[in-house]
Amino acid sequence: MARFFILFVVILVGLFAAELTQPVQRAVVLPWTEGLARLSAGLITLFDSNVAASGKILQSTTNGFAISIEAGCNGIEAAIVLIAAMLAFPAPWTYRLIGILAGLAAVQLLNVVRVISLFYIGQWSMQAFEWAHFYVWQALIMLDVLIVWLIWIRKLPRRPSLPDSPAPPMPAGATQATT
Amino acid sequence: MAANALPLKKFVIRTFLWLPPSFAVWYFSAPYFVVIAGKLARLLVNQFTSGVVSAIEQTGSVLLFVTTIKVHPTPEQTALLLPEVNALLYSYGLALFLALMLAEGARWWKFLVGVVILLLVQSWGIAFDLLAQLGIRMGPEVSAAAGLSGWQLEVIALGYQLGNLIFPSLAPVMVWVAFSRLFAGGVSGQRGENQSEPKMGEHQR
Repeated sequence: MARFFILFVVILVGLFAAELTQPVQRAVVLPWTEGLARLSAGLITLFDSNVAASGKILQSTTNGFAISIEAGCNGIEAAIVLIAAMLAFPAPWTYRLIGILAGLAAVQLLNVVRVISLFYIGQWSMQAFEWAHFYVWQALIMLDVLIVWLIWIRKLPRRPSLPDSPAPPMPAGATQATT
Repeated sequence: MAANALPLKKFVIRTFLWLPPSFAVWYFSAPYFVVIAGKLARLLVNQFTSGVVSAIEQTGSVLLFVTTIKVHPTPEQTALLLPEVNALLYSYGLALFLALMLAEGARWWKFLVGVVILLLVQSWGIAFDLLAQLGIRMGPEVSAAAGLSGWQLEVIALGYQLGNLIFPSLAPVMVWVAFSRLFAGGVSGQRGENQSEPKMGEHQR
């Protein structure tokens, strides 16, 4: 347990510090965020044509309301947490790779739902937007990461059980402890 | 049913059901926690720039830090700098923590210890928010007056980002995992009906 936590924190801080550097921001974070805005706009246009994406901004063409997808809302921090948790947990590398790919897809899918929902909540009520944006969705995304991680742990191969063998004789007077 | 045998599906449903009341508890109790978190944050701020905060005032869950830094809105005027911090931004993890613990049916002392840990996390967020305002966002004049420069600004930037983007939502999950390792073993399917309870992370070794 201690090993997991230490590894997790080391990987988490390392990835997070790397994310904050300018080269990673330019090469990964900004293109990713702009892609997220385009994807969200593309999905919204399936049922509402009054939306436009420009860079990382999603804007309503009817009332001018716009949201800018910033750090914390692009799903990258959640992805970093998930990657760190899966790398720190003892598991075969194949399972780690599959888990990270599938997990990232699940987290990003919910993040798209977050962006689209915030786009409409903001047009309805700014107070509700602030609640959803700052508190509720942050908790839900991290809960999503936790659930994905727990499901992944469940899918890991079980440790091979030892073949049945007779238990060694108990010393006289000894009692057996159970946990 | 023992909490550590709770199936994942049931646990998730329970967590979602507990979230709304947990958010209500968090919101209405926040002003009381903020008092303590503000004082703890002041201790942390003093490690970077001692004595810059002379008093803390509170309006609901918003903390107003009275500093000793003098600013000049106009050439004739001198005023003390009073940065504000919305403490709710750093404490919403309490709602998630409560929901997770209630869904599991955790023991009361785990709630208490968890709340104390989350209070420290909240203090971190508040402290680095204030430091980021003084050292980075308010410009070089204020950062010089606060005595913040060089490596301190780098640490403040990282501390602020961690305290703002990662810790508030991650801390409750980490505390829950730490407290519920037997439960985590149970939901992981690593435990059969008649097997002893494994500890999380023991498999694959």
